[in-house]
Amino acid sequence: MTTETRAATSAQPSRLLSALRTQEGVLFLVLVVIVIVLSLLSDRFLTVNNLLNQTRLFTETALLALPMTLIIISGGIDLSVGSMLAWSAVMLGFSWQLLGLPLPLAVVVCLLTGAIGGAINGALIAYVRVPPLIATLATLAIYRGFSFGISQARSARGFPEEFAFWGQGQVGPFPTQFLILVVLIVAMHLLLARTGFGRWVYAIGNNELAARYSGIPVERVKFTLYTLSGLMAGLAAFIFTSRVTTTRADAATGLELDVIAAVVLGGTSIFGGSGSIIGTMLGLVIITLLRNGLLLTGVKGDATFMVIGLVLIAAVLINNLVRRR
Amino acid sequence: MAPPIIELREISKSFPGVQALDRVSFEVREGEVHALLGENGAGKSTLIKILTGAHQPDSGTILLRGQPITIPDTRHGLKLGIAAIYQELSLYPDLSVAENIFMGHQPSNRFGVVSWRQMQQRARAILHELDADDLDVSRPVRGLSVGNQQRVEIAKALSHDARILIMDEPTAALTQHDVDRLFEIVRRLRARGVAIIYITHRLEEVFLLADRVTVLRDGRVVGETMHVSQTNQAELVRMMVGRTLDTFFPKDAAEPGEVVLEARNLSYGRTTRNVSFVLRRGEIVGLAGLVGAGRSELAQVLFGITPAESGEIRVEGKPVRIRNPREAMALGIAYVPEDRKLQGLLLRMNVRENTTLAVLRQLLRYGFVDDAAEMRLTQEYVDRLQIRTPSQMQQVANLSGGNQQKVVLAKWLAAKPKVLILDEPTRGIDVGAKAEIHRLMNTLAQQGMAILMISSELPEVLGMSDRVLVMRQGTIVAEFDRAHATQEAVIAAAMGADALHTTPAASTTLT
Ligand SMILES: Nc1ncnc2c1ncn2[C@@H]1O[C@H](COP(=O)(O)OP(=O)(O)OP(=O)(O)O)[C@@H](O)[C@H]1O
Ligand SMILES: [Mg+2]
Repeated sequence: MTTETRAATSAQPSRLLSALRTQEGVLFLVLVVIVIVLSLLSDRFLTVNNLLNQTRLFTETALLALPMTLIIISGGIDLSVGSMLAWSAVMLGFSWQLLGLPLPLAVVVCLLTGAIGGAINGALIAYVRVPPLIATLATLAIYRGFSFGISQARSARGFPEEFAFWGQGQVGPFPTQFLILVVLIVAMHLLLARTGFGRWVYAIGNNELAARYSGIPVERVKFTLYTLSGLMAGLAAFIFTSRVTTTRADAATGLELDVIAAVVLGGTSIFGGSGSIIGTMLGLVIITLLRNGLLLTGVKGDATFMVIGLVLIAAVLINNLVRRR
Repeated sequence: MAPPIIELREISKSFPGVQALDRVSFEVREGEVHALLGENGAGKSTLIKILTGAHQPDSGTILLRGQPITIPDTRHGLKLGIAAIYQELSLYPDLSVAENIFMGHQPSNRFGVVSWRQMQQRARAILHELDADDLDVSRPVRGLSVGNQQRVEIAKALSHDARILIMDEPTAALTQHDVDRLFEIVRRLRARGVAIIYITHRLEEVFLLADRVTVLRDGRVVGETMHVSQTNQAELVRMMVGRTLDTFFPKDAAEPGEVVLEARNLSYGRTTRNVSFVLRRGEIVGLAGLVGAGRSELAQVLFGITPAESGEIRVEGKPVRIRNPREAMALGIAYVPEDRKLQGLLLRMNVRENTTLAVLRQLLRYGFVDDAAEMRLTQEYVDRLQIRTPSQMQQVANLSGGNQQKVVLAKWLAAKPKVLILDEPTRGIDVGAKAEIHRLMNTLAQQGMAILMISSELPEVLGMSDRVLVMRQGTIVAEFDRAHATQEAVIAAAMGADALHTTPAASTTLT
């Protein structure tokens, strides 16, 4: 009892400090620094238009990063997200243009394709017990193969005008997809931080055996996570198609790297057990702004990759230092 | 008497919210065994971590042979001849015995190439000194008994030429036979002039082994260091917990009710063979046997971790299938596992998340965790089991060993099971808390819970059980009611009649 009161009093003055000592706190500082530096370097950077525009590119990666955060926290990984996105997009174009399905139905096909791709991953990992890295590395190749096979290297185009609403339209001042994303960020954050399911995800990532011994349905949780990841890839495919008005089999190649980098930069432990949606989103904003800002200031594409790599390492280092005090 | 080889003066150490050590002074001499006692969370492990260099003190001085020193890290500590065998063993399971012994300082030639032959020779020589010639130095550590792993740990310490050897609850997980061997080794080292700090919760060991004893409470030294001849168990208990305490098992006679759990011819692999028994409401049944007799394995069959391959389980008369822990829990069965780190805890999650893990479903409102209810439930068990933690939000990894064990207990008590299976429930728990847990088991049984208790401490089994089942080679070989469960009878059954004739030391070989 006495120790408890002691803890409460000594915690008071250092609350601000301890908030900054979290990965999110460090990232937030990094973000502020980046914004200041970039806006000094380019006057086109810190404009409402530029920033809102960035959210369009940002959304697809963010949609994939949301479930990826949960998956990595659970101790897994999903390398196939880019391929699932491409496969879903191709299925959208294929079922609309070649099968002649009405567009809304084609969108449903697109979402379903993603969900099925994810469910296959989930079944392999949870029930067949293939390690996630191997399972999704395999399906990364396989789903990409499906995309090329089904599209026959042709791209679907000529979508109706109103279809562009989801990827190019606005609601008030905001890009449509940005609003969708905001809703999903809030939902995912609540799912992870406040629900029993979220608690299970952390528990599995922390100690899968103890989780199992505590009656947590480990298989079902994993299956759900990978299926969710597929479903989000389907949604991202739909928005992507609407934005670029064409479906191509090589879409989103290598996107999984950006997604995983954002999650890890956001402070999620690659070994599982800890992390947050807020961290991931901060990580993603940093990566996106760096890309854009450096491009605006005239840095070549290759160099931005290097800068992002350095930021990734720096963020982790700073965090380690701050934590160790 | 010899001067102190190492001395701590006014050492303080605090962690966020916890004053783990408060101006502690302490010394050890060459050729003595110095026992360090205290409740769970009293600061014992913290003290030795300061000695080994794993933690840095906030203030105070450390003197080695009279010279003030600092020990920046454990490597440095080893160089100074200070080695520790921690509460949890830390060997690399896939490396050989010799490699483990020389981990980090392999004998090598001048090109830095490890000399395997020399390493094995030296490993063998060290083990010979420990009278452990039976250990094959080239086999991997995986699969060694806990007792043998510990001998490897001791050999590892000696390979550094340790002059100060610290042992943190070395006997917690040992069989009686291994305990006897360990004592032999400790006495041998003492005779060679090694200074030994010995931490334990088993007070009788203090009088068997130690020369002097120091008691810690809430991070402070209680009274002063004493010779063991000047004190007795009751006094030590009073110093540890700050009041007199009846440590005798308080088991009341129970009126067993109807059968809750019945096993008929359960089998799994070679470890569980044709096991049949019943468990009634309100009774505590002890499960005795040697290590390897298949007691934990039986528990895992009952809990659905390794579902029975044949046989039948009935719960309240109805035949049931238990294919995983979830199904077992739905039937009202709970299992407190043997290995808290591996099977019990989410070390990097907090006390609250660990306590409520098994009952989380009951704390959900529309899928969301009801914070207030969760906090209330946790507080109930923190209070009831006297879990010492600065707050519910403390990471379990930062709790002392005994308090971690209590968190595992809390998790399963919160599930309010009909059948509670306890596998070494009081391992690493201090005398006061142990009596508290026994009292709690008693109350739970009075309220109608059926308890199956696996324990390697025979006095605990005999003291707490209404009935004792004895296992040998995967099957139940004997059953005694409370009146007939004597030490001799249980040991004879556990060893098998033949073994009794051939092993003179039978009474000490039971786990
Ligand atoms: N790394 C840490 N961070 C925060 N608190 C800690 C840390 N290590 C220990 N403590 C706290 O310091 C106190 C003393 O712990 P310590 O491990 O020394 O106890 P102990 O006497 O060894 O207990 P036990 O008999 O249960 O092993 C406890 O309250 C514990 O929670
Ligand atoms: Mg300890």
